Amino acid sequence: MRILFGLALFALTAQTALAQNEIVATVLDDNGKPVADAVVVAVPADGGIRLPTRRDAVVDQVDKEFTPKVNAILVGTPVIFPNHDNVRHHVYSFSPAKRFELPLYAGVPAQPVVFDTPGVVILGCNIHDWMVGYVYVSESPYFAKTRADGKAVIADVPGKTYIVRVWHPQLEGSEAMTKRTVDLSAKRRVDVEWALKLKPELRMRRSPVGDHSGHY
Amino acid sequence: MLLCAAGPACAEWFYDVRAGGMYDDNLTRAQQAADVRGDAAATLAAAAGWFVAPTGADGVTLSLDANSEAYGRFHGLNLISIGAGAGYRHKFGLGSAAPWVSVTVKAAHDDYRGDIRDSDRFEAGVEVGRRLSTDFDASFGVAGDRRRPRNDSPVVPGISGKIFDLRGQSVFARAAYDVSDRLQVGGRLSVRRGDIESTTRQNIDIFLASDAIAADPTFGSDFYAYRLRGTTKTVNLNASWALSDRSSINFGYALASTAAYDDLNYLSRVGSILLAFHF
Repeated sequence: MRILFGLALFALTAQTALAQNEIVATVLDDNGKPVADAVVVAVPADGGIRLPTRRDAVVDQVDKEFTPKVNAILVGTPVIFPNHDNVRHHVYSFSPAKRFELPLYAGVPAQPVVFDTPGVVILGCNIHDWMVGYVYVSESPYFAKTRADGKAVIADVPGKTYIVRVWHPQLEGSEAMTKRTVDLSAKRRVDVEWALKLKPELRMRRSPVGDHSGHY
Repeated sequence: MLLCAAGPACAEWFYDVRAGGMYDDNLTRAQQAADVRGDAAATLAAAAGWFVAPTGADGVTLSLDANSEAYGRFHGLNLISIGAGAGYRHKFGLGSAAPWVSVTVKAAHDDYRGDIRDSDRFEAGVEVGRRLSTDFDASFGVAGDRRRPRNDSPVVPGISGKIFDLRGQSVFARAAYDVSDRLQVGGRLSVRRGDIESTTRQNIDIFLASDAIAADPTFGSDFYAYRLRGTTKTVNLNASWALSDRSSINFGYALASTAAYDDLNYLSRVGSILLAFHF
């Protein structure tokens, strides 16, 4: 009984130690302003990934916009696309990581969409062309999305060496160019900072265009 | 959402308001400098509409439109217009780059302070377009217009006084480029053949070429309006700055060149500024 208790105590202590490591990321643009909605991903350098239990994710549609605009999920995650507008949407993606179409619907689709390939999936609505959303499908369970202050914390990371990278919808250049090596084997917290060059947002304009169409 | 889920038709209402001003340097559409009259106007337009997508590729729009113009000097041009429009748009495929075709019809009653211009207007058009890249789209189309006056005020026996009984056909092309996420610039080229109206002092050449004549006191007691056949080529340039997802400020410039017959050619230029809101 004492042995069992000792083992349980050891396991709990070890798990607590593992869970205390964290990567604190700060993402800025090239003017030094914080960048929100950037996805920071840490992949163990030894390739050893243990996938946790997947939970459904939600990409909502509110006021004819995808909410959240950027959603980061683990590969294999089922995503539900509820429509909370009083109009129907027709959601689709042409992205190689996930091609799908949810034909014109209101309410909640009967089946979620499973994102089973890592990569970036760009969402659109065939009725409201300005609607653009992004699902970042991560191959690693260690990821986080930056807040308005440009910061993201990847918590509960085992103490190992990681290749850390960042992605943003407006990232100029490739995600691979942002890779950094982070060693958590001897530290409980590592701070990483990026200064990203961003390109203009690629989406159709929603605001009205007024013109004086001519006369004769 | 429940109502939407319950029925096949799931409509969205929209409201548009456009307020601004414009300056037209040749309201009379006259050739001779002595006959040319320019003026500025305050403009206000509002529309309430209904949009429904019966399928993922089709959209139907119905709207009620009201428009007003108030001129600084020539009050006879002051206008209140009430109308309605309908449009159908089909996309050939999925995605914002899919080509599309639209059909629109509009009807309106224009009530001017000067009764001579009171009329009913009808317009119909077909347009085909495509977004060629994420920041550039283009379209072209054909349109027809018909204007039927409410009043007939002949001044020459045997010649109609319905100078605003006009009809014409147009072809047009337009393009828009998103310079940034806030700034869009665009242009439109159109050629219209059909009836035109030109107001001048008594002019024997225009008189001989016209098929309708009426006094046009809007511009003075010695002005006459003539209806002729002509071709108008118009270039429109627009710049639109998004203030938000629902509002923008818009600057426009239009240059119209009309050739009515061998000796009558006139230019007119319109500059405009508009605040546009969409709810």
